[in-house]
Amino acid sequence: MLRSPSIRILSYVILLFLAGTMIIPLWTVVATAFSTKFGSLQAGINLWPNPISFEGFDTLFRRLNFVLPFANTLYVTVVGTVAHVLLSALGGYVLIQEDLPGRKIIAGVILLTLTIPTQVILVPLFVVFKQFMLLNTLLSLIVSELVSAFSILLMKTYFEQVPKSMVESARIDGAGHVKLLKDFYLPLALPGVVTVAAFQIVHKYNLFIEPLLFINDPQKITLQIALQSVIQGESSTSTNDFIAPNVTMAAIVVALVPLLIFYPFMQKYLIRGLTVGGVKE
Amino acid sequence: MLDRIRRHWMLYLLIAPILAYFCAFLFYPMAQGIFLSTQKAGLLGPVGFIGWDNYAKVFSTPAVWQAIWNTLIIAAGITIVGTLLPILPAIALLQITPDWLKRGFQTAIYTPYLLSWVIIVGIWLNTLSPVGLVNSVLEGVGLIDAPINFFADPFWARPMVIGLTVWKDVGFHALIYLAALLSLSPDILEAADIDGANDYKKIRDILLPHLMPMIKVVFLITLLGSLRTFDSAFLMLNGRTADQIRTLAIFTYERGILNFDLGLASAAGVVLLVVSLLISGVAQVVTRTEREN
Repeated sequence: MLRSPSIRILSYVILLFLAGTMIIPLWTVVATAFSTKFGSLQAGINLWPNPISFEGFDTLFRRLNFVLPFANTLYVTVVGTVAHVLLSALGGYVLIQEDLPGRKIIAGVILLTLTIPTQVILVPLFVVFKQFMLLNTLLSLIVSELVSAFSILLMKTYFEQVPKSMVESARIDGAGHVKLLKDFYLPLALPGVVTVAAFQIVHKYNLFIEPLLFINDPQKITLQIALQSVIQGESSTSTNDFIAPNVTMAAIVVALVPLLIFYPFMQKYLIRGLTVGGVKE
Repeated sequence: MLDRIRRHWMLYLLIAPILAYFCAFLFYPMAQGIFLSTQKAGLLGPVGFIGWDNYAKVFSTPAVWQAIWNTLIIAAGITIVGTLLPILPAIALLQITPDWLKRGFQTAIYTPYLLSWVIIVGIWLNTLSPVGLVNSVLEGVGLIDAPINFFADPFWARPMVIGLTVWKDVGFHALIYLAALLSLSPDILEAADIDGANDYKKIRDILLPHLMPMIKVVFLITLLGSLRTFDSAFLMLNGRTADQIRTLAIFTYERGILNFDLGLASAAGVVLLVVSLLISGVAQVVTRTEREN
């Protein structure tokens, strides 16, 4: 590509710096999480816990309620992602039917939704979810972004790449739409399905605005909200106790674990998905 | 025509739940927002039509102007830096030859994009705390005398929101740029070599022009996203930084949900929508006409 050694060196410097801003803070989070309460309060550059201790995790799980939020988030993530993927696939399937009267209008309505971001309608959204009696339910988190224009368009892009000839013979044999979608489009466009699912898993796992808005029942609290209250030290463990950094960082480590397990399997799809979306424009 | 519509009834049935969903949970709330913005708010909901009064109140509230100003400055910072900075790692990634190392760098810089704002703020609260790594290093080398309290200093509030947003998205944008650069035919760069072009010229005359359409796309996505900044600023908001980073979206939340002033908050929400539609409309027209020329 480029030839001069100075550009090559500069490239390494840029990438090492950026990767460092990711790896070093993450490393100090882990180091702090495995410190004692006293150790985590020490000033200075603490890159290795001394002594190594599980005190933070112990406090987190035994004295703060961190298991229930995890279970709630898991439920919302799994059910929400499955529903989102199925509905997006339906949408994508309908949009590739070229001879469908009114297809342009349907596509137009779907595109129009892109102009209404959640953050702009927080207050009316709260009012409407109240009208639908969804406040303080985990269902509210599944319903919010049950399907999105972005996912429908991504599905459509992948479905369009399925060769027409493969589907045509099944259609002539009398296969219905549901059968075509289930037996041909979904398996043949599997990378697209996985991409939509991967983005949705990350999205549901990270939900913050919606639970903040819709849920204040402590039984229905989700991971990110629980994490925020630990970080802000609101849920002190007892009256004369306070949450030390080792507990906060242990909470972050625990919240990171599912992502780190999931990431290596999904990375390919997460990256491919964004370039498909990007290149298409 | 009627026959074709009848033949496709099943497809309409399949798309119906999706359209119903969008109507009930996007278009209807939007309409509700516009309706509420014309209503006098009572304790149990709207109690009557008052026309433009809420809008008059919105524009006569200094806190709203402050919130609009905060939103615009933060959006400008995120959009400019967030669009241009990722070009560097994208071009840099092209130079890295062992494939495993390239993938490693990609993974490292892309990961923050997948993390929630709660986690990101948590990570940096630790690293940037007054007794944390960055302050310790800066003090150690003698750059500062007293630790900087990055998260509780009005001076640092906006740079922190802008900086962390750019940091979260830099890998995502760099990978979009990288994909565009990889679509460039190697023949063109070889031809430039034969013509004796140096690296600086190759970047300026080949790589950047090739990247231009994608830079415009990223510019538009970033602009739209940054105008609705909520999570990041909300999580970094405290008594000392509130006046710097309370964005319009946060203002509507505080007024509407916490103070239950539905009318004023809905009007402010409509103002935010109109402002962001106007700005993105102008941006879209400007980038499109440039593309045609």
